[in-house]
Amino acid sequence: MTITDRQQAAGMMPLSEPPSSPQGWLARLELSFAERDALTYLRTNRHTGPLRLQRVLYPESAVCHACILHPPGGVVGGDRLEIHTAVEASASALITTPGATKFYRSGGAPAVQENYLEVQEEASLEWLPQESIVYPGAVTTVSTRVNLAKGACFMGWEILCVGLPACGQPFATGTLRNTLDIRRAGRPLFADRLRLTDADDRHRPTGLRGHSVSAIFIATGCKPDMLTPLRQLFTIIPNTLTGITLMDDLLVARYLGECSSEAKTLFQALWTWLRPYLSGRTACPPRIWAT
Amino acid sequence: MTDKHMQLLRLMHLVSPSLPTGAYAYSQGLEWAIADGWIQDGPSLRVWLADLLQHTVAYVDIPLLSRMHAACRYRNDTALAIWCNQLLALRETHELRLEEKTRGRAMLKLLEGLHVQLSITMQTIIADSQLAGYAMAAAHWNIELCDAATGYVWSWLENQVLTGIKTIPLGQTEGHQMLHSLGPDVIDAVAHGLRLHDDSIGASSPALAIASSCHETQYTRLYRS
Repeated sequence: MTITDRQQAAGMMPLSEPPSSPQGWLARLELSFAERDALTYLRTNRHTGPLRLQRVLYPESAVCHACILHPPGGVVGGDRLEIHTAVEASASALITTPGATKFYRSGGAPAVQENYLEVQEEASLEWLPQESIVYPGAVTTVSTRVNLAKGACFMGWEILCVGLPACGQPFATGTLRNTLDIRRAGRPLFADRLRLTDADDRHRPTGLRGHSVSAIFIATGCKPDMLTPLRQLFTIIPNTLTGITLMDDLLVARYLGECSSEAKTLFQALWTWLRPYLSGRTACPPRIWAT
Repeated sequence: MTDKHMQLLRLMHLVSPSLPTGAYAYSQGLEWAIADGWIQDGPSLRVWLADLLQHTVAYVDIPLLSRMHAACRYRNDTALAIWCNQLLALRETHELRLEEKTRGRAMLKLLEGLHVQLSITMQTIIADSQLAGYAMAAAHWNIELCDAATGYVWSWLENQVLTGIKTIPLGQTEGHQMLHSLGPDVIDAVAHGLRLHDDSIGASSPALAIASSCHETQYTRLYRS
């Protein structure tokens, strides 16, 4: 697979056959973070295939910021990406990506991404990847499984853009299965399983209602008195749908609209507001978000 | 009277709108969807309900009812607890989870009043989930799974249509035409839901979840969800 193929897949050039990796291109990244003297350090960093830790940064002393890079710049049919992350007891990590994850049109073989996130006792994980863009004709399966130990803290978001609305290319063909599963001490806390397997699925009245961007923000450790200020931050924007709910200590905010950067801005506001309450730290946005 | 007739009688009792579990008090986001103009008339309500039947009831309620029914028949507390936790995790909002639990507690009280013997663990689980309570009652009265599932979906649908009749509002006849015409959708949802494997259980209905989240702060409301 060359850069040119991927540019073609991105719709930048005319294309006869969709690209694929017939043998499947397995990329696997395994990270673990551990705590020592109230600081978090990277304990494990192993990768196979084109998926790696771009860098770790310490813009704030107590939290290790990690940026995960998929150098090919896009995922094609047959590719498989696996991210295994463990934040060990009392450690604090923030994980992001330098840009959108793009799932390109497939000739039939599915592209798969699996994220396994484990957060141990009194540890904290902020899982804040940039958006995933699922191109028309892509065949994609994404699953994110979060396992929290008792006393673990998690904040995360998932921003899913189906089709290329700005280019007038809706997600009229292709399939997407997206699963989010959060467990605490082995017990299911939250489960969401999106299926877009039919062209009409995007228009389901109780589903996406024809919107291209569906995004979800999740935080544990929240309290009922946080709802009113958070709802005020989650301002109403024309032609978008937003809602916030709190189930025990689990806060879930949702966005349905047309613009992934709008969703990111809203979620970043929630994250900025929540962080001092949940971790005692002011928000320290990764610099890569500004580029 | 045969056993079959007795089972039918028990099923009709179980799905009766007069059952004191307060199902009529919950709209499951429908009240907000109507107030916000997503649903303005019969046809838009019908599309909403058909969608829920095909994508949520068939992928969440029915497969979990099936597993809970088996767990109750074999008095397997551990399995019942696992499926109850899975169900709650799949209920997308505070109000939907609260409804599941509040109606579960009412169901537990009713079962105790009808002298259904339950272990302490079973009581705790049913107090968290009306679906588990329904599964327990159906198993206790030997109601076959497919009949129990069809009855469950019918009572859910009847309740949603009644909410539509009162809130949109619709005429009684139009409401009942809709209930009648959604019959095949109910049958399909039950058949599909009963065939699902464990790893296919689950749904995503972001707009429903947003409607239900917004209902929490809806200014004037008659329903509890």
